[in-house]
Amino acid sequence: MHHHELSDISSPSSTRPITVALLGNPNSGKSSIFNRLTGLRQKVGNFPGVTVEKKSGTLVLDNGQVINLIDFPGAYSFYPNSQDERIVVQTLASPLAENYPDAILYVADVTKLEKHLLLFSQLRDLNLPLVLVLNMSDVAEREGQILDTQQLAARFKVPVVLLSGRTGSGFQALKLAIAQIKLGVNASEHKGRRLNAVEKKVSQRIREIFPELNPYQAVLLAHHQGWLSYLTEEQRAAIQKINSEEGFKSLNFQVEETMERYDICTPIVQQVLKSRASEKQTLTTRLDAVLTHRVAGPIIFFLVMLLVFQAIYAWASYPMEGIEWLFGQAESGLKALLPAGWFTNLLTEGVLAGLGGIVVFVPQIAILFFLISLLEEVGYMARAAFIFDRVMQAFGLNGRSIVALISGGACAIPAIMTTRTISNWKERLITILVTPFISCSARIPVYTVLIGFVVSERTIGGIFNLQGLAFMGLYLLGIAAALLAALVFKWILKTREHSFLMLELPEYQLPVMRNVGITVWEKVKAFVLEAGKVILIISVVLWALASYGPPGKMDAAAQDAVARAQQEQLDETTTENLIAAKKIEASYAGYLGKAIEPAIAPLGFDWKIGIALITSFAAREVFVGTMATIYSIGSDDDEYSVRNRMAKERNPDTGELVYTRATSFSLLIFYVFAMMCMSTLAVVKRETNSWKWPIIQFLFMTGLAYFSSLLVYQLMS
Amino acid sequence: MVAKVPTIKRLSDLKPGFSGEVAAFGNDVIAAKMMSMGILPGTRLMLVREAPFGGGWYVKIGNYAIALRKEEAACIIMN
Repeated sequence: MHHHELSDISSPSSTRPITVALLGNPNSGKSSIFNRLTGLRQKVGNFPGVTVEKKSGTLVLDNGQVINLIDFPGAYSFYPNSQDERIVVQTLASPLAENYPDAILYVADVTKLEKHLLLFSQLRDLNLPLVLVLNMSDVAEREGQILDTQQLAARFKVPVVLLSGRTGSGFQALKLAIAQIKLGVNASEHKGRRLNAVEKKVSQRIREIFPELNPYQAVLLAHHQGWLSYLTEEQRAAIQKINSEEGFKSLNFQVEETMERYDICTPIVQQVLKSRASEKQTLTTRLDAVLTHRVAGPIIFFLVMLLVFQAIYAWASYPMEGIEWLFGQAESGLKALLPAGWFTNLLTEGVLAGLGGIVVFVPQIAILFFLISLLEEVGYMARAAFIFDRVMQAFGLNGRSIVALISGGACAIPAIMTTRTISNWKERLITILVTPFISCSARIPVYTVLIGFVVSERTIGGIFNLQGLAFMGLYLLGIAAALLAALVFKWILKTREHSFLMLELPEYQLPVMRNVGITVWEKVKAFVLEAGKVILIISVVLWALASYGPPGKMDAAAQDAVARAQQEQLDETTTENLIAAKKIEASYAGYLGKAIEPAIAPLGFDWKIGIALITSFAAREVFVGTMATIYSIGSDDDEYSVRNRMAKERNPDTGELVYTRATSFSLLIFYVFAMMCMSTLAVVKRETNSWKWPIIQFLFMTGLAYFSSLLVYQLMS
Repeated sequence: MVAKVPTIKRLSDLKPGFSGEVAAFGNDVIAAKMMSMGILPGTRLMLVREAPFGGGWYVKIGNYAIALRKEEAACIIMN
């Protein structure tokens, strides 16, 4: 042992940031531990354009040492079944791989120890410093389990920490164990599983090409050379040659290795666990008898969904009114405070109007993300996948697609990323292609504003708000479009790959509010900051385009309007509005909108809606911000709410309301179907690894939107 | 794939509520996946119920549960 290689993780000599990987099976409760350790000091890549590859966060130990903790996707073993699990193998199979950790925290559910030790036993063979974290100590205690952690630590020669991510007990011990990790040396004298003759030979020959690998990592390369992205084509060919010359049987060896590992771990578990969990009727068993029941299961699912949409509509209205009032106060306050001039106008009519138009929807978005992450936390999502697997299969999807489709109700970007758990390429691709049809939270602002023009505010049967029902109808329309599109793709796309369900149904548990809270906080923050940035820029540009025009044109338009007002003997307010409308029509924005008006007029849209359509191709939620900016410019009334301004909007020439039922309906349909989110397209490009699929997706969705709107408007008007 | 021999009892042949011990797997790909989820030869399984729209099974293994498609369940040969 080289003494100079020894360094304590907490010693001052370690100046380089230390990376610790958090690994474990799906449902091991890893995220709770991650959230507890890092709190809000988390980084998640998010839109626009960047997707959630990994969650990382910083953990500050008591002695001030800062640890960079990476939360990897849950994996059962080094033989991945999905894209998600591949990240784990890809990162750990080579010390030169990106994010290769300095140490590993392995989280295992102590109530299912045998099963969770498979990946642990594989990780041990990497010879990285390793801590075995046994989670769910509270459940184990309740079930009367007694565990000899000291003996377990001695048998595996690793530090063992028993804790509960839920209650927080045992975290001091975990932090201590992290502080005591020895870096730079093999954590134990662990020799690794004995390789068979073929594996040994293959491992040796691969290590001649890749001297940085340890023997087990070389075997992993032999197994996974087909897809590991950092291998060059020559390297891949070289490994394939070695494999075939030595007679390396990947599938056989995988099964053999797995059996051997269980043979080693199972007896140890039987020795250290004093009482095994009984097979008595647990709460989960009793709940599932109802929740996954043949008849009750699907009915309960739809009731839950109905409740979610009612909640978005009903609960959010109070905070929304408050926010609207606040922005209204801010606008009139600023106008009174600042001297009149272009800067004040830019600030109030451009920036504030645009921002206010969007911040108002934060409550609805927060509620939606809150409810969806709640369903995930309690373990209901896996049941939904089980219930609908057969139905999903009929549409060329997988039971797991339901998770993407439900999450798509919040945002298509994280939803598309949940498809990484679907192993079959065709099922995964179809899920990615149709998920954006599910109405996401960014459509909420558009729906909320427009539904008011189409459906009256009434309550039927004492409970159901009519507008809330219309809201749900739009969601159902999106779901129908998604399923029909899936059916078309099922028919077009061909694959010979086998499709699997094999899904673990985790125990129901009370949600850990910290996890839910962090998710909601992250999403809302991303919405306000990222979308806010885009909206801010667009608002300012729009304000400039709508406030200025080709030299002389706007003044000429104003004079014309005055002349016409005198001729028609209009009252003061009408005159003012006419002047404002004519001026904006002569602005640059007016010219832009007029240019596309011929294409959208058959759908019932005027040039102002046209401008909103153009800007909202960047992101749907920009629509309302754009409307708020366009309608606030030059208008003198105290009306602040975008909806009320739109409701009053009349065609200056004919005097008719712009937002008739036909136009509003047509616009609603357009927003249900159209692909208007650059971030989603970027994610689809990334997840499918080609521009082909996002382009196809954009064209068929937007094409469907155009023709459906055309049909609706022509039929209704 | 294993030829259909009358004496072979598959998990999918069981009735809901019945349990048994895994003898072998009829397919290596399925075997590898099952084993990584803790289903090995010798593991006791219980068929709990059929999925709402058919096509799948709710299977209990000790203190945890797994959803399997009928085709997947048919690859598990029971004692």
